[in-house]
Amino acid sequence: MEFRAFMVNMIQSELEDVVGRENVSVNEADKLTYGVDYFWVARMWADKGKKPPAPDFIVRPGSAEEVSKILKIANYYKIPVQTWGGGSGSQGSALPMAGGILLDVKRMNRLISLDEKAMTITAETGMIFQTLEWHANAKGLSIMHIPSCLTCGTVGGALAHRGIGILSTKYGKIDDQCLSMEVVLPNGDIINTLPVPKHAAGPDLNQIFIGSEGTLGVMTKASFRLVKLPEARRFRAFLFKDFVTGIEACKEIVQTVKPSIVRLFDEAETVSIIKKVLGFDKRGAFMNMAVEGNARITAIEEEIAMEICAKYGAMDLGAEYGEKWFENRITFFYPGHIMNNPQMFGTMDTISTYDNVERIYWAMKHAVEDNFPNVRFIAHCSHWYDWGTMIYDRFIMDEPPEDPEEAIRLHNQIWNAGVRAAMQNGGVINDHHGVGLKLSRLMKEQYGPAMQVFNGLKKSLDPNGIMNPYKLGL
Amino acid sequence: MFSEKAKIHADACRFCWMCRHICPVGLVSGKEGNTPRGRALIVSMDSRNIPLTADAAALMYECCLCNACANDCKTGYDPTVFTREARTMAVVNGLVPPEVEKVIDRAMQGSLYAGEPDSSLRAAIERLPEKADTLVYLGDVTLHQSPEMALDLFKVLKAAGVEFTVLRDERASGAHLGDLIGYVDEVRLMSAACAQRIQETGAKKIVVLDPSDARFIKQQWGAWDLLQPDVQVITATSYVAKLLDSGRLRLRQLPYQSTTFHDPCRLARDLDETEPARRIIVAMGIPLREMFLNRKLTKCCSGAIIHQTDPALSKKIAAGRWEDAAATGADLLITACPGCRSVLGSQAPKGKLVRDIFSLLAEAC
Ligand SMILES: Cc1cc2nc3c(=O)[nH]c(=O)nc-3n(C[C@H](O)[C@H](O)[C@H](O)COP(=O)(O)OP(=O)(O)OC[C@H]3O[C@@H](n4cnc5c(N)ncnc54)[C@H](O)[C@@H]3O)c2cc1C
Ligand code: SF4
Ligand code: SF4
Repeated sequence: MEFRAFMVNMIQSELEDVVGRENVSVNEADKLTYGVDYFWVARMWADKGKKPPAPDFIVRPGSAEEVSKILKIANYYKIPVQTWGGGSGSQGSALPMAGGILLDVKRMNRLISLDEKAMTITAETGMIFQTLEWHANAKGLSIMHIPSCLTCGTVGGALAHRGIGILSTKYGKIDDQCLSMEVVLPNGDIINTLPVPKHAAGPDLNQIFIGSEGTLGVMTKASFRLVKLPEARRFRAFLFKDFVTGIEACKEIVQTVKPSIVRLFDEAETVSIIKKVLGFDKRGAFMNMAVEGNARITAIEEEIAMEICAKYGAMDLGAEYGEKWFENRITFFYPGHIMNNPQMFGTMDTISTYDNVERIYWAMKHAVEDNFPNVRFIAHCSHWYDWGTMIYDRFIMDEPPEDPEEAIRLHNQIWNAGVRAAMQNGGVINDHHGVGLKLSRLMKEQYGPAMQVFNGLKKSLDPNGIMNPYKLGL
Repeated sequence: MFSEKAKIHADACRFCWMCRHICPVGLVSGKEGNTPRGRALIVSMDSRNIPLTADAAALMYECCLCNACANDCKTGYDPTVFTREARTMAVVNGLVPPEVEKVIDRAMQGSLYAGEPDSSLRAAIERLPEKADTLVYLGDVTLHQSPEMALDLFKVLKAAGVEFTVLRDERASGAHLGDLIGYVDEVRLMSAACAQRIQETGAKKIVVLDPSDARFIKQQWGAWDLLQPDVQVITATSYVAKLLDSGRLRLRQLPYQSTTFHDPCRLARDLDETEPARRIIVAMGIPLREMFLNRKLTKCCSGAIIHQTDPALSKKIAAGRWEDAAATGADLLITACPGCRSVLGSQAPKGKLVRDIFSLLAEAC
C-alpha cells in the first residue's frame, strides 16, 4: 500500500507518541545501517554501490508494552514489521525487504534477574549476548551459550535463529538453554510461556517462538539456565588420516563421554583455515576437543577420549593446538581471516543422524564443486549428539560475476544445489543460522505437507501477514 | 574524498560485528548507526554512490573516540581513523550539526567553555614560580570544570617538595579541536602555539593532568615533532605514583572501604597506564572493588566532547558506566580524569559519590 501526502507523517507521529521522538528515525543515514546484515547478497549489493533495502520507519521500543502498541499500530495500517536484534544474522532475516517498520529492539537491554538459588538468569531480548554472559560470569556462572557471534548478536537473535555455541556438545543449543520467555504476539497481546520447559501441559510454547525469525511475534524477555564456570577445562588436538575416520572416532567419543568441544575439520579446511590461523601444517583431518567441569571427571574423560582416538589411528597433537584453537576461536571471524567480499561464500550448515553424515558430505561437495567451476567446498563438524552431528559446509568462490544480478543468480543456484543435496540425503535445510530470506524458498521442499502447521500458526497469529514478510517460507 | 587509509579501515569494519558489544554509545542507544560497523558502512558507501550527508555526519559525532573497539579488535583495524576523517569531511562539506558547530567555534577560540577559568585556581597559579624544571599542564577541562582537581594536585606536589610551575595563560593543547575536526592544519597550529609557550618556560618535565591532553601531547605532538627531544611528558597519575615509589610522598590511610576505580579510556587504552592509579589507591589503604570492565576494557563515560556536543547522549553513556559501578556495590567511584570526574559526578545516582584521585591524595598527604 502506498501512503499519500502527509499520511506518512501521521503514522510517524503515532509511533513517536509510543516510543518518544528520539526513538523514531526516518533519516537516510540510519536507514542505510539497517540495510545490510551478514547475508552475502546484502553485503555484495552494498559493495557494488547499490542502495540497500530501507525501512520507512526505524522504531526503537524500550519495553514490551511499547512493542505491543507498535504492533497494534502496524496491524491497523497493515505495515510490515521487521524485528532487528544485532543484524548479525547471515540469512538476511532481519533485512527490511518489505519496507515499513524496522523494529530495533536493542534498547530493551535490561537484566531482569539473576537468581543463584534457582540458577536462572532473565533479561530483555535486546541485550547483546556477551553482556548477558558477563552478568553471569561476574557471579562465577555461565549460560554456556558461546557462539562465535557472542559479541555480535542479541539474546532475541540467538533465540530467533535457534543459535548454537562452541560448547554445545555438552551444554546444548539455545533451545535447550532457554527456560521460558515473554512474547508480544502480532496483535499486541503480551504472553508468557510456562515457567519451565519440561512438563506435560501440551507442546512447549517456547519451541514455537524459538526459531520463528520474527514471523510470529517479538520475543521481549527470556530466562536461561545457569551453570557454574567449570573447575577445569582440558584441551587436546588430534590428526586423523581422513574426515570419515574422524567422524567414527568422534561419534564413539560423544557416546562414551561428554566433551564440550569437538571440532573435526575435513582436509580442505585443515590445510587452509587451520593452517592459516593455528599454523598447523599437515594433511589429514584436524580435530580439537575439550572436556570440562569437575577436575577429576575431566581427567578421566580426556583419558578415554585419547584411547578412542588412538584406536582410530589418530596422531595425538597434545594440548597445545587445542588450547591454541580455543584462544583463537574468534580470530577466525575477523576481517583478514574470514571470507570477505568480493569473494562469494556461504555456510550451508546441515545436520543429520550418523548414518547419513558421510553421504551428505560427499553429496554436497559434489553438488557444489562438480556443477560450479572455481567454487571450493570446505567443511567441519562441530556440534555432536548421541544420534548425529552438524556439518558446517562452506563454499567459496574467489571471483564471482561482477554483475550483481548475475552474482545473485549464481549464488542462489549454488545454495539450491547444496541444500537440496543435503535434504535429499537426510539432512535438514539448516542447523543453526536459520532460514531467513536466503532459504525461504526451500522451506516448502523441506517440510512438504508439514508446512501447513506453520502456515496455520502464521495465519491465526498474524492474519495481516505483517511480521517479517518473505522470511522463513511464511 | 576519504584517504586510502580510512577506506581500508572502513571497508574492513563495514561487515564486521565483532566489537559492537564494547561500544559505550551503541550499548546505551541501541542504534546501529552507533556501532563501529554501522559508521564504517556509511563511510564505505561514500565512494560507492551514497555520499556522506548531514545525518551521516551527525552519527560520526556520536562516537567518544574512546578506542574500545580498536582495542578489542584482533586484526588491528581502528574505527577512529575513519570517524575522525569523516568529521574533517563534515567540516569541509558544511555538514556539521549546528550544536556541534557551536562547540567547534568555541574550541577554535581556544576553549570548549565560555567564560574565564576559575578565579581561585588562577590566584593559586599566580602564586607559583614563573619558571621551574617541572611544568604542570592543566588543560581546558580542569581550568573550567574541575579546578579543585588542580588545587589538590598542587597540594600533593608541594607535600612531596616538588618545585613546579603552571602557565599563566595556558593555551589549548589541540586535543579537543582534533577530536572535533580531525588532525588538520588548524589543529597543528593550535598545538604548536601551545608547545611554544611550554618550551619558552624551559621546563624539562611536563606533568599533564588531563589524560586526553596527555595522550595528544605524547602521541600527536610527538608525530608533529612539537617538543624538543629532551622534554619529558608524563601523566599526573604516573608522576605521583613515582613520587610515592621514591618515598618523596608519604600518605596516611584513608577510611574509604566501599570504592571502585573508573579507568579513564585515554590513560588505560591509549597510554597503557592502568596500574599507577591503583598503586596510589592501595597506598592510601583503600580496597578496590573492580568493575567487570576494568583496565583496558574500561567503558567510556563520555568525557569532554560528547558532553558538550550532545549532553543528552552523554547522560545516557555516563549512566551506562554508573550501572557497571553499581554492580560492584561500591559507594565511592574514584577516577583520574577531570572529564570523567565532571561527567560521572553530574550523573551520580543517589547515595553514590565521585572523587578524583588527587582529592583523595590531598586528604591523605
Ligand atoms: C562473525 C559471526 C559469527 C557467527 N557465529 C555464529 C555461531 O557461532 N552460532 C550461531 O548460532 N550463529 C552465528 N552467527 C550468526 C548470527 O550471529 C546469529 O544468527 C545471531 O543469533 C543473530 O542475532 P542478531 O541479534 O544479530 O539477530 P538479527 O540478525 O538482528 O536477526 C535475526 C532474526 O531474528 C529475528 N529477531 C531478532 N530479535 C528478535 C526478537 N527479540 N524477537 C523475535 N525475532 C527476533 C529477526 O527478525 C531476524 O529474523 C554468526 C554471525 C557472525 C556475523
Ligand atoms: S575494529 Fe576490528 S572488530 Fe571492530 S569492526 Fe573493525 S575489524 Fe571488526
Ligand atoms: S571509539 Fe568508542 S565510542 Fe567510538 S565506536 Fe569505538 S567503542 Fe564506540
